[in-house]
Amino acid sequence: MKNSIQLILAIAFLGAFVFNDVFAQDSGQIAELKQIKQDVESLKPGKSRFLLRGYAHAGLEYHDEDDELTFVGGAFNPLFVYQQSDRLLFEAEVEMKFEENEFEIGLEFANISYILNETLIIRAGKIFVPFGIFTERLHPAWINKFPNFPLGYGHDGILPGTDLGVELRGAAHAGNLKYNYSIYAINGPQLDEGAEHEDDIGKLIYGNIRDNNKNKAIGGRIGIFPFSNSSLELGFSAQFAKVGSDNSEFNDIGANLYAFDLSYIKAIPAIKSVIDIKAQTNFINVDDADYPDPEDPTGVETFTFNNKSEAYFIQGSIRPSFVGNRFFQNMELAMRYSDIQTPEGAHWHTEEDQLDIGLNYWLDWRTVLKFTFRKSGQGVDESEEEHKESGNAFFVHWAIGF
Amino acid sequence: MKNIQIKELQLWAMVAALILFLSTVVISCSSTSQISAAKGGAQLWGENCLRCHNAPSPETFSDTEWDVAVMHMRIRANLTDEEADKVVDWLKTAN
Repeated sequence: MKNSIQLILAIAFLGAFVFNDVFAQDSGQIAELKQIKQDVESLKPGKSRFLLRGYAHAGLEYHDEDDELTFVGGAFNPLFVYQQSDRLLFEAEVEMKFEENEFEIGLEFANISYILNETLIIRAGKIFVPFGIFTERLHPAWINKFPNFPLGYGHDGILPGTDLGVELRGAAHAGNLKYNYSIYAINGPQLDEGAEHEDDIGKLIYGNIRDNNKNKAIGGRIGIFPFSNSSLELGFSAQFAKVGSDNSEFNDIGANLYAFDLSYIKAIPAIKSVIDIKAQTNFINVDDADYPDPEDPTGVETFTFNNKSEAYFIQGSIRPSFVGNRFFQNMELAMRYSDIQTPEGAHWHTEEDQLDIGLNYWLDWRTVLKFTFRKSGQGVDESEEEHKESGNAFFVHWAIGF
Repeated sequence: MKNIQIKELQLWAMVAALILFLSTVVISCSSTSQISAAKGGAQLWGENCLRCHNAPSPETFSDTEWDVAVMHMRIRANLTDEEADKVVDWLKTAN
């Protein structure tokens, strides 16, 4: 009997010891798990988040007319994206590059966007003017199929680039038809009245920090996707503005700009390739005016011209993404034709066209080596400008997006 | 006379743009797309990204970074709310 009691006590004591040990072990693990959970929670990002993106490029160019072979670029465009909340986003892009032997730095754009609802976003600040598709979507070096721009585009072009203002934009469906839209009010283009560059009189100047009048340029773009797979997008853009200075004789001069654009991208299994077609045609109509003749020293004589300009481009590329050989998968053949016509009678009159033929090799989805031959057509020989923007040329460029 | 005609044309064009915009907002608030609803994040990722550039590898960014990148692209590339949500969910799953 005594032995039995001792045995029961021993088992009870052992059980209590084991239970206590297991309990202590469990408690320890729970505490450890709590600590890990706490550590993880402390690493969980808040709603305010920052991301650095952008692109850079460098290259070698040969310009036939100037018989010049030179390294170019070293351009670096960091894009700062700051998400303050699920609805509020700030973005700014700085452009740093060498231009005419000097280092240049500029604020490409900087704006704040707020998502009002599922289909409506308001944006304010310095924005890419949604006029067509090239400037807003296709110009970054790692996206552009070519190292150069089509005729008429770029900082000294005849088309809107960036501007200061406010924009409403978004995308939605009307039934099964997808569309996107943008409507904006910006400072708008200004008429070059010849104060600084007499030869540019009558030309539109874009990207102005300060407006020259109280009128704001109003414009917009609408794009529709006729096919359910979004392969085709057709767009129409328009912009209306007074462009003369309030205190000048040109204060009533207005400008109307229109553009049609097309984007088509489709995988074609039969040829194991993806084809990509882009096009945009632009019409710039400025009211006629009598300008002082820069060649008349008395300043009495005037001259005028039909101030209408046009520029368009069409480009196509094919990439055999579905062939077996990886080297050929990364190859891309691209062609682009562009044309510009500015007013006859203007000192800045030009009629040019050019053809770009490119062979691109994609090192990864955002890094590309571009080999492009630019063949100039009519009008280049008459141009007194340097042949950086026109004339036969060969480019080798390396571009990266990040 | 010509100036008056141009001004009338501008006015009508602006009125047309305004009507188009308001119609757009009204229609968009009340419409749904069955085709869009049937599409998955991977398909929308391909369709929308390729319109301008190569489709990014999901491994490029972390989940947190994709939130910012897709919100940026929703605004820049005019993605719908539904498209942006599906694309970011898919990228987070695939990265």
